[in-house]
Amino acid sequence: MWGFTGGFEVSMHDCRRDVSQSAQSFEKRAEMHEMHSFLSESLDIKRHTLLRCINTQHPASLKAASPQHPNMENEISPEPRDLGRALCIITGASKGFGRTLAFQLSCLLKPRSVLMLVARSAEQLNQLKEDIITLYGGQNKLDIRCVQADLEKKEGVEKTVQAAKETSVSELDHILLINNAASLGDVSRFALTFTDPAEVNRYLSLNVSGALSLTAGVLQAFPHRLSLRRSVVNISSLCALKPFPSWVLYCTGKAARDMMFRVLAEEEPDVRVLSYAPGPLDTDMQLQARRFSGDLQLRRSFSSMFSEGQLLSCETSGAKLMKLLQDNDFQSGAHLDFYEL
Amino acid sequence: MMSSASGFGKALVIITGASKGFGRALALSIAPRLAAGSALILAARSDDLLQQLKADLSRAHPALTLRCAAADLSCQAGVESVIAAITHSDPDIEHLLLFNNAASLGDVSRFCGDFTDVDEVNSYLSLNVSSALCVTAGVLRAVPRRSGLTRVVVNISSLCALRPFPSWVLYCSGKAARDMMFRVLAEEEPELRVLNYAPGPLDTDMQRQARSSSADDALRSSFSVMHAQGQLLTCDQSISKLMQVLLEDKYTSGAHLDFYDL
Repeated sequence: MWGFTGGFEVSMHDCRRDVSQSAQSFEKRAEMHEMHSFLSESLDIKRHTLLRCINTQHPASLKAASPQHPNMENEISPEPRDLGRALCIITGASKGFGRTLAFQLSCLLKPRSVLMLVARSAEQLNQLKEDIITLYGGQNKLDIRCVQADLEKKEGVEKTVQAAKETSVSELDHILLINNAASLGDVSRFALTFTDPAEVNRYLSLNVSGALSLTAGVLQAFPHRLSLRRSVVNISSLCALKPFPSWVLYCTGKAARDMMFRVLAEEEPDVRVLSYAPGPLDTDMQLQARRFSGDLQLRRSFSSMFSEGQLLSCETSGAKLMKLLQDNDFQSGAHLDFYEL
Repeated sequence: MMSSASGFGKALVIITGASKGFGRALALSIAPRLAAGSALILAARSDDLLQQLKADLSRAHPALTLRCAAADLSCQAGVESVIAAITHSDPDIEHLLLFNNAASLGDVSRFCGDFTDVDEVNSYLSLNVSSALCVTAGVLRAVPRRSGLTRVVVNISSLCALRPFPSWVLYCSGKAARDMMFRVLAEEEPELRVLNYAPGPLDTDMQRQARSSSADDALRSSFSVMHAQGQLLTCDQSISKLMQVLLEDKYTSGAHLDFYDL
């Protein structure tokens, strides 16, 4: 749009909406144009504004990014209460919420952390990696690794665990796994049309089994030791708690995941387990929901959420997750929803 | 004769996992509540045990049509054989009752961190989650809605659907998944009567597995204590409450009801 690299466009789009949601001055179209030209001046200024958007909820960053203190060092270096020198694994990182989390987490990881981005699309992952590197002005403070893997398949899970194992753990003080990869399933159909176990099995393989086995593999690869913080996030949903017509697979999968991670929290008191329901995000998945949901009422309410600007940007929701991880005082195993926080 | 308060009239009843434990007891308990000409379909993996049960039932209830479907419900063919068993059954029924009872505990000797094999987890979910959805969908399609017919779907649930238990990740996840699945079904099909019934701690082979194999020490010993102190329920005790709930037919469709709530 403004001559950015492809990867920045989506983020800036989200960022723009996010800023306007924060009731900043960029609401009106004229001011948007102004913002466009402002942003196109230099890479430094682009990065400055992008960082500010990403950390919009974070008071420390707003202070650091104020015009009176254009100190680039403060903005790029990790925020106070950072997430340590970590191995941070994000599944479903190529787009949507996962992609946003990659940016947001990259701000909170200490230099020489490993950011492992997992998705099916190598191309999108590489683009994301480039965009994050660009964000830091080419200073490779983070070791960003792309793992192209289909977590619906056993090989995909194993490949990801293997990639994690290849990370040297000696300097790390935090293992952070974000189980974000998911699919909606065919929401155009109702429960009584699911007569083929193979279809249901495939769905559960990605959305339930894959998450459990990946988590198990990562925790096995990085067993408990003092001075190693281990955190596991389950990107959950209101659908884990409430049934929605024409959404049997998604609701079932999310309910299973929440329980899975509750059991993990019971078993492993030293692992910080969080099921985070991000709210209705403006992503491709949401688009699928409002286009295809078989239940008319549900489809209508998704459409009106969209047209009335009630969808959340990934940044807004992601920022709350960042705060939860930084504060680190959530009850392990809890289900926390964006709207409760 | 049978009053509607104590029986289901002329019915088609399907019970999965019917060869032993709760499923078997259910078959024996429900048979007397079915009017002549009713059909009772018994599904499980073990043909021998099913035939034994069928023989016992037909002696006591000669007016019932009894069919066995020896099937592994974790695969397509198994699900289809259950559906096949109900085709050509008498359509002139007032009640359809499907009891999704077949289940497995999974390997409770291991913790979450040990389930690194996706195939194992998939296999578990295939039996305990997918097959329940597919059997239910298949049965309800084979016996469609019509006036004068009450269609009831029961999910044999558990406290584990609501609360996590250490070393029980597969069972808890599967039960949580099933409860949600049937809640969605209840939302979608308002004329269906859907019940998630948690039967309480039953004195069955599954319970024996629980108390001998659970990796979590505290859990294992509380199962042992329950057993030693005679706190386990007989299947009949639990079934009689289930029957009462079904016959009264006042529960909210999609609700989770526990033996101890009733």
